[in-house]
Amino acid sequence: MSARGSGAETGLEILSIAPTATIQDRGRIGWLRYGVTSSGAMDDHALAEGQALLGNGCDDAALEFAGTGGRFRAHGTLWLACSGAEMALRVNGAPRPWRQSFRLDGGDIVEIGAVHEGVYGYLHVKGGFQTEMVLGSRSTHQRAGLGHRPAAGQLLPVLPQPADMTALSLPRPDHFDRRELRLLWGPQSDVFPRAERARLLAAEITVSPRRDRMGMRIELDSGPIRATEGLTIASDAINPGDIQVAGDGTPTVLLADRGSSGGYARIATLASADMAALAQIPAGGVFRFRLVSRDQAVEALARHRRALDSLASKAVPVTRDPRDIPDLLSYNLVSGATNGDDLDLD
Amino acid sequence: MSSASSSTAFGPPVIRLAGDMGILVEFGDRYHPSINAAVLAFDAAFEGRRPAAVIETVPTFRSFLIRFDPLALPFDTLHQLLSEMLESRNWYESGPPTRRRKWVIPAVYGGMRGPDLAEVADLMDQREDQVIDSHAATLFTVAMLGFSPGLAYLGQLSEIWDFPRRTTLNPEVPAGAVLVAVRQTVLPSTPIPTGWRQIARTPFRSFNPRSDTPFLLQPGDQLRFEPVDEAAYAAYSAYDMDALLHEEGA
Repeated sequence: MSARGSGAETGLEILSIAPTATIQDRGRIGWLRYGVTSSGAMDDHALAEGQALLGNGCDDAALEFAGTGGRFRAHGTLWLACSGAEMALRVNGAPRPWRQSFRLDGGDIVEIGAVHEGVYGYLHVKGGFQTEMVLGSRSTHQRAGLGHRPAAGQLLPVLPQPADMTALSLPRPDHFDRRELRLLWGPQSDVFPRAERARLLAAEITVSPRRDRMGMRIELDSGPIRATEGLTIASDAINPGDIQVAGDGTPTVLLADRGSSGGYARIATLASADMAALAQIPAGGVFRFRLVSRDQAVEALARHRRALDSLASKAVPVTRDPRDIPDLLSYNLVSGATNGDDLDLD
Repeated sequence: MSSASSSTAFGPPVIRLAGDMGILVEFGDRYHPSINAAVLAFDAAFEGRRPAAVIETVPTFRSFLIRFDPLALPFDTLHQLLSEMLESRNWYESGPPTRRRKWVIPAVYGGMRGPDLAEVADLMDQREDQVIDSHAATLFTVAMLGFSPGLAYLGQLSEIWDFPRRTTLNPEVPAGAVLVAVRQTVLPSTPIPTGWRQIARTPFRSFNPRSDTPFLLQPGDQLRFEPVDEAAYAAYSAYDMDALLHEEGA
């Protein structure tokens, strides 16, 4: 711990934060056999966006917000970027575009408000947040009590920041528009009558408000899934994306913070490539499933990985849009002071 | 040469697709010591032949899940390896793991440490001391880990313990709760919500994320509970558990 007042303590101070905010990286892999599910960013494309905007490594950790964000103060110069679901972003009170990297100087305030589109938004820092590593990952797993739990008053540690780097911008990804998600039958699909499986594929499906990082309850327009036999099985390992059907017939898609095993039969499994698209559908959002073969799902995964890998080449330097200039002028007039970093961007 | 899978009441094992990054080898559809032993033996054998693109593996009561990168390891290649391994021997005749350990775990039964003991005694139509004696006399095997970090499913109690879980959920039982239902004991290392009934509590924690050995209990390990009083309970440090290891090897 460096002494206060020396100016050496660099980091992002949390002034306020939504209780659903977490720290996430690519997840805690390799401990499933001991009952530890991976956690990790709900939108892996968004996590990769932030790494591309800041030139980070693929294992660097970001703040993940579910619907609402928080208010933060820079201690020292910081390079930040936002990604994923677009949220209201302000720096020292002035609106800033989403999905760009930007610089904060010591004392600057960044505010992340309500989500405009999607569910999970991310705030990244150059080099990633240096919170506690547990079992090889910084991801918060609230249910298991693993990883850092962000809260007001904390200073999130960061690596030494560059004095200057090129601010980058990325286009909006298209997975927020996806309303058809790929599905595979799984080991327990046979527990369900053929007609019920057909109904799952034919239904218009609505995302329930009962959703979190563990799972998303979904509702078929044609009603709950019925099964003549009991739906309980001898406990077995659960894959991410498995769609479990509990006693009342409501399906739940099991996600990053799920339990590692369970005794409810699972009717099907979501394709890995579509996990991020599902996670970004808000409560009340509507979609459909499309049955695919294993080969089709693997091909979709290959395309998904290529899209992540290509983000660095898609990031372009931020150019000043003339429409932004009046806003900058009014901000300077209102605040009565400028520390000059706006000018550095020119 | 005898057939690998015809001379048994179990099996044959089935290889199933489990999502686009998973393959499940199902050895059975229920908990049974022979099925569980087959899973654990297969797990040990697979570890020796594990392709680099395998991300992780999960042995359960009755099956073995392999999560892998299908872009680095074609499904058919992995399927071929698993088929060859399954054909190579009768896994149901494996017997217990050779490197399992034996644990003696102190536990305080009843009272505030086991708030559901009286209810369990009613369900079993036994006195509370008979319930404790029966539980403490049982030599358990760790059948699987799962649900929450380090939580151990222990098999198997006698038939008088064959009562169901509650239909309602207790929102939280503490780490170290000794939980019972369906002839099994469950031993969580973190607080969990549960429908199982708590008859005791142990200071033992199988999971310590800050240890070099974060998980102590392994599938196949043997374990029995030693009834102790509150003073003995307090004397155990929750994170110095090596003293509980009774005997190395089987």
